[in-house]
Amino acid sequence: MTIKRSDFVKGRTAVVPATVAVGALNNKFAWAQAADFEDDVDVLNYALTLEYLEAEFYRQGNSAGLLSGKERQYLDKVQIDEESHVATIRSTIMKLGGSPVAAPGVDFGDAFESRSKYLTTSHTFENTGVSAYLGAAGFITDKAILQAAAGIFGVEARHAAIVGSLLGLEPEGGVYMGATETPLTSAEVLDAVSPFLTGPGAMQDDAATTR
Amino acid sequence: MNTPQGNQLFDGKPVVEFRSEHDRRSFLRNALLVGVGATYVAAAAGDQRSFLRSSAASAVGTRKGPASGDLDILNYALTLEYLESGFYDRGIAAGLLSGRELALVTPIRDHERAHVQAVTDTITGLGGKPVAKPKLTFPKGTFTDKGKFLATASTFEELGVKAYHGQVPLIESGDLLAAAASIAGVESRHAAILADLTGGDPFPGPIEANLPMKAVLKAAMPFIKS
Repeated sequence: MTIKRSDFVKGRTAVVPATVAVGALNNKFAWAQAADFEDDVDVLNYALTLEYLEAEFYRQGNSAGLLSGKERQYLDKVQIDEESHVATIRSTIMKLGGSPVAAPGVDFGDAFESRSKYLTTSHTFENTGVSAYLGAAGFITDKAILQAAAGIFGVEARHAAIVGSLLGLEPEGGVYMGATETPLTSAEVLDAVSPFLTGPGAMQDDAATTR
Repeated sequence: MNTPQGNQLFDGKPVVEFRSEHDRRSFLRNALLVGVGATYVAAAAGDQRSFLRSSAASAVGTRKGPASGDLDILNYALTLEYLESGFYDRGIAAGLLSGRELALVTPIRDHERAHVQAVTDTITGLGGKPVAKPKLTFPKGTFTDKGKFLATASTFEELGVKAYHGQVPLIESGDLLAAAASIAGVESRHAAILADLTGGDPFPGPIEANLPMKAVLKAAMPFIKS
């Protein structure tokens, strides 16, 4: 299919090839359930909520003074990446004529009590993020947005691998998660992150329904 | 436009030799077909442009081709996976690595082997003809020095990541896209770990950069015997 520049500028979404009919897939790479998202803005707001969560997590974690040297340098960069993802996704939603969801209320509990807890929680977040993007990608109809989302997904995978390595985890199952990444449905992702969400603006209320 | 780091791979020596003229021609022809008109758009660190603007240029002017385009892309991916797999087979067998480095790089070899199998099976499943395993001839010195081996691996993985991301907007089938993405994410992990092992930057930007096939081939072409 060909996508014209005017399609992006005007925020129109291109026609989806029939082969992207997500409900029809049944192999091991199957996307999340077809009913998860209504449109690209839905998917982007879902991603935005995760990015808000991550950006705030690193803002608080990096302020806690738990890391030094290379670890500190790496985690500072991760924070910058997540903040960039928030800004990019918000801007994209607005260009599509949608409304970005508000940042959720968050509570990270005792995640910042020690270096080990901080990095372990980070490892969980990043791997959840990787699987969330993979699970949601099939709902994106605009190929340019898809490419950017894939680009963010790859960077989350980098974060996950490096944090796993900083923790000294087993290479397979800690640094790498197999020869292929595994998708998660939005319901699975919500289960994983809901302990950190509080109050209005939390993901359950907004991300999958706001348009 | 960034210069692909891959220009320095293997000292510019030819490495890949296709098993048949058909395989070689198919690889190059498809590369030209798919690569024409695509533009390399890197996402620089701190770039906060919207997806729409930053990605539009790379998607504009892409192929109006038959559905067989997906098979072309898969054979392109398969060739690169063969190259990677052969590279790590030799590198691990050479016994250059030990300890944590060996532990971190051995699974990379296993993943590349699995990718070769997965892509081959996918092509066959779609009724296509997978390219045969190309003959690989790595230049002397590729596997004699640990630092050089890891540096080459790092360059290689970064090129592979860009290659996969360059194809994302061109893949038509949803399940192929999912399969390709699930492999690309693993290549990103490899790239990050090798950057860390070699003193490089594991996080070169907030969004993975991408390269059209033509640019990847320009980087890889010296290793393809013709």
